[in-house]
Amino acid sequence: MSNYRCPCCRKISSDPHDLARHFLGQTDSKHKDWLKTKGLSYAQLITSQTEFGNKGYDTLAEVLKKEAPKVE
Amino acid sequence: MNEYSIIGKPTTNVDGVAKVTGEAVYTFDMTLPNMLHGKLLRSPHPHARIVSIDTSEAEKLPGVKAVITGKDTPGGKYGLWRRFRELADQEILATTKVRFIGDPVAAVAATSEDIAEKALDLINVEYEPLPAVFEPLEAIKDDAPLVHDDFENNINATRHIEWGNVDKAFKNADYVREDRFNLLSQHPAPMEVHSSIASYEKGSGRLTVWSSTQSPYFLQLGLADALKMREGNIRVIKPHVGGAFGGKNSTMPDSVNAAILSMKTGRPVKIVFNREEEFSATEKRTAMHLAIKIGLKKDGTLLAKEVKIITDGGAYTGLGATTLYLAGTWITFPYKTPNYRYDGFRTYTNKMWSSSVRGFGAVSAVYAAETQIDRAARDLGIDPIEIRRRNAMTTGYEAPGQYKVESCGILPCIDKMEQRVKEKWANLDKDEGIGFAAFAYMSGGIFNWIDTPYAFSGAMVKVNIDGTVDLFTQASDIGQGHNTVSVMICAEELGIGIEDIRLHPADTATTLTDLGAWGSRETLMNGNAVKAAAAEVKKKLIEVARMKLGENIVYDLDAKDKRIYIALRPERGFSYYDIVKDAIKGNDGEPLIGIGHYTPHRKGMVSPAYAMGIMGVRAKVDRETGQVEVKEVIVVHDCGQTINPLGARGQVEGSIQMGLGFGLCEDLPTENGLILNPSFVDYKLIRIREMPQIELFDVPTYDPEGPYGAKESAEATTAPTAPALANAIYNAVGVEFDSNVLRLEKVLKALKEKEAKEKGKGRR
Amino acid sequence: MKKELKFVVNGESYDLWVEPNTLLVQVLRDELGLKGTKWSCDSGSCCACAVILDGRVVKSCSIFALQANGKEVLTIEGLANGPELHPIQQAFIDNWAFQCGFCTSGQIMAAKALLDENPKPTREEIQLAMDGHLCRCTGYNMISEAIQDAAKRLQA
Repeated sequence: MSNYRCPCCRKISSDPHDLARHFLGQTDSKHKDWLKTKGLSYAQLITSQTEFGNKGYDTLAEVLKKEAPKVE
Repeated sequence: MNEYSIIGKPTTNVDGVAKVTGEAVYTFDMTLPNMLHGKLLRSPHPHARIVSIDTSEAEKLPGVKAVITGKDTPGGKYGLWRRFRELADQEILATTKVRFIGDPVAAVAATSEDIAEKALDLINVEYEPLPAVFEPLEAIKDDAPLVHDDFENNINATRHIEWGNVDKAFKNADYVREDRFNLLSQHPAPMEVHSSIASYEKGSGRLTVWSSTQSPYFLQLGLADALKMREGNIRVIKPHVGGAFGGKNSTMPDSVNAAILSMKTGRPVKIVFNREEEFSATEKRTAMHLAIKIGLKKDGTLLAKEVKIITDGGAYTGLGATTLYLAGTWITFPYKTPNYRYDGFRTYTNKMWSSSVRGFGAVSAVYAAETQIDRAARDLGIDPIEIRRRNAMTTGYEAPGQYKVESCGILPCIDKMEQRVKEKWANLDKDEGIGFAAFAYMSGGIFNWIDTPYAFSGAMVKVNIDGTVDLFTQASDIGQGHNTVSVMICAEELGIGIEDIRLHPADTATTLTDLGAWGSRETLMNGNAVKAAAAEVKKKLIEVARMKLGENIVYDLDAKDKRIYIALRPERGFSYYDIVKDAIKGNDGEPLIGIGHYTPHRKGMVSPAYAMGIMGVRAKVDRETGQVEVKEVIVVHDCGQTINPLGARGQVEGSIQMGLGFGLCEDLPTENGLILNPSFVDYKLIRIREMPQIELFDVPTYDPEGPYGAKESAEATTAPTAPALANAIYNAVGVEFDSNVLRLEKVLKALKEKEAKEKGKGRR
Repeated sequence: MKKELKFVVNGESYDLWVEPNTLLVQVLRDELGLKGTKWSCDSGSCCACAVILDGRVVKSCSIFALQANGKEVLTIEGLANGPELHPIQQAFIDNWAFQCGFCTSGQIMAAKALLDENPKPTREEIQLAMDGHLCRCTGYNMISEAIQDAAKRLQA
């Protein structure tokens, strides 16, 4: 099973959704700026969570699955 | 059941004589020699850049001793969220811009209040008004004006809580419903307005502050942060407090500006808010938009719950970020929720900020959840008590990654309610209805966003040669009766009388840290510290007694009724007073003291223990006027072990007054950021003739974490009142509401709409 | 321009000079140091400032001090008999009829005025007499019970 490391800090998780949750809980500029480099907006991801469903986290989880470094 | 001497017995207030004779001193009453009076100049604009401030005319006014603006302060920002520095967003006085009507920009110290007020009129501030935003749903839009530059889309804080798989669970549910609510704000409205006196000692550079505060320690930290001083050079003393209800946790402009004015003038400075400032510029309940979706089996078993909340944070953070987290937590109580997802957003708006008010998110959240569950019960044809029983938590229930419930009396509470309702409310009049709401609440939080290195509560007991006891605790009695609880616990543990103990409360210089009176933490957390401190002394006394008795060490000794004796042979023992003398004289005169402290460990993310219960409300609706009369209330609660039944009853009844206010009449209508009713004339509180008869039943459980098994009481009961009432109104006349403050015109309108709908149906 | 105020407070005579716009509550608290009477609302709508003026309960925030000229005022400080509490005060303690205590002086003075005039009030009469008194802590029922208890004690 792959583990994913957060692209901006040392957090590691085997679940991209859990990593997305960690990611969106961070308020520092490093995390927010990384989103911009991937064409994502922190504000948009967050506000999409105001509707029922998990759209913001789902979107970010997909991106992290591809982009987050994999570790053992 | 344990047989206690004092715990559980009705005990009058240790501050009783002081309070009924007018001798109790509140910060509001205090004067110091050479004291000046301070006033704050507040922004008339909800959002504006400060172009210039000219204080020269004010400074010339005879009697004015100092005028300060932002440039006279150490600068920087402060707030309660010390662990998350970006949320420490308050300034002592606004420097570059103001963010709500009432945001302070200058302060004056003068020889009288009148002169200070006149001086305010002489301060010239040039503002450049900026576009403002007042509604959270507008504030999160991309083109909304930013209240704080670093917070995109005005999102101040977010919370995500999730366990299980809600999406899958919804698919498997027999019944799914979504409801949306708009929960309004409410003001704590304590009878004593915010008051502070600061006295700066020039020689030592030390500051003493007396304040009407819920937490001397929080105030000490906030002042140290704001003034860039060492904490230890700031002493905060809490005199009697005329109520707080959540609005006196933060370091507010009265205390911190009084401090700077005192530093500048070299004299004590007192700042007291007037009632208009109290309503319009002090912390209030967080208003929120709340969407809640539940999935149930057809027998009413809850499978999934999803909640989205957007809160109206106002201009600064205060404790609002905690309210955001807790609203998303209380909305799951007291039911087993196998799958849950919560997203909470706190937005900045250009209004006075919202923070914590009695219930701390529960009042708003439970209104939504408990009216919704009734709607679901109606659709499924299930009795409202039964649907709650079916889903109730049980001992040991765990919400994965969030909380675990140890003692849990919700089921016996529900049973008792059902029984009592059959006995008492079997016959209803026309247009009368009964409604229920279940509730649960924390006994203090495990959170440490204040970033304290200390135990969450500490206490010290000193026993004097004559057996009198000095009890030192920093815990705050803000009216809830905690002083009495502390003394009761100390007396019970040492086996002595209330009259033997003198309490020294709420002084940061002479007592060990306690985090203050919020989140219903004092009984459990400070109670544990007091008990531990007393236990340490008791251990010493018992050792002395054991030596004197010369008995076999397997015999246990007890301390009770001012004696220390062999538990199995009570006739063999000594007077407490004799043992105290021996303990001191026989130990080289060493002081006989005990120190105790408490911090919750391994107790999940929320609280070490939860009080639970259910409330029933019987109400009558007048169809002609829309007036709702609340006739009777029944409360059945599990608070572990009630320490003082008198105090607990008083607290529960007081919480119902506030809950009814939330449900019927307390409202802060705002127009362009201006609160329209900042006085008791227009802000309606429930008065004596509107209070119903209340019956309170106790279902004692025993929580291993609490002192003598005790948990919180009476912050929890603020939450179920309004939803139980709303449910009663539905059962009386068949109308539902998606908001609180059910004034008669709202009820009348709903009745008329229902009538029109029914007539419309009839015509076809 | 200050004017002379001669009045009796808690049995003691005072001769002061006060501004015409000084309120009675200000003279009591700031001149005479009788801080037991509170004020809370700036709008005459909470009764925390209630005192007894020539036998009638009044809101001391809504009366100019000079209106008490030649009159007798009774405040909370004048109720107890030395160390012995007045039965109303004791009843408030025994019935836990206060919590933060800030509205309590006003409540007790109004209760005294009520019981002086109507020694056996019904619950409804008590509620009517006390309707102006705001309390944020108690929910009022225990206050009503304390006043009923006080009525019994005063008749005993």
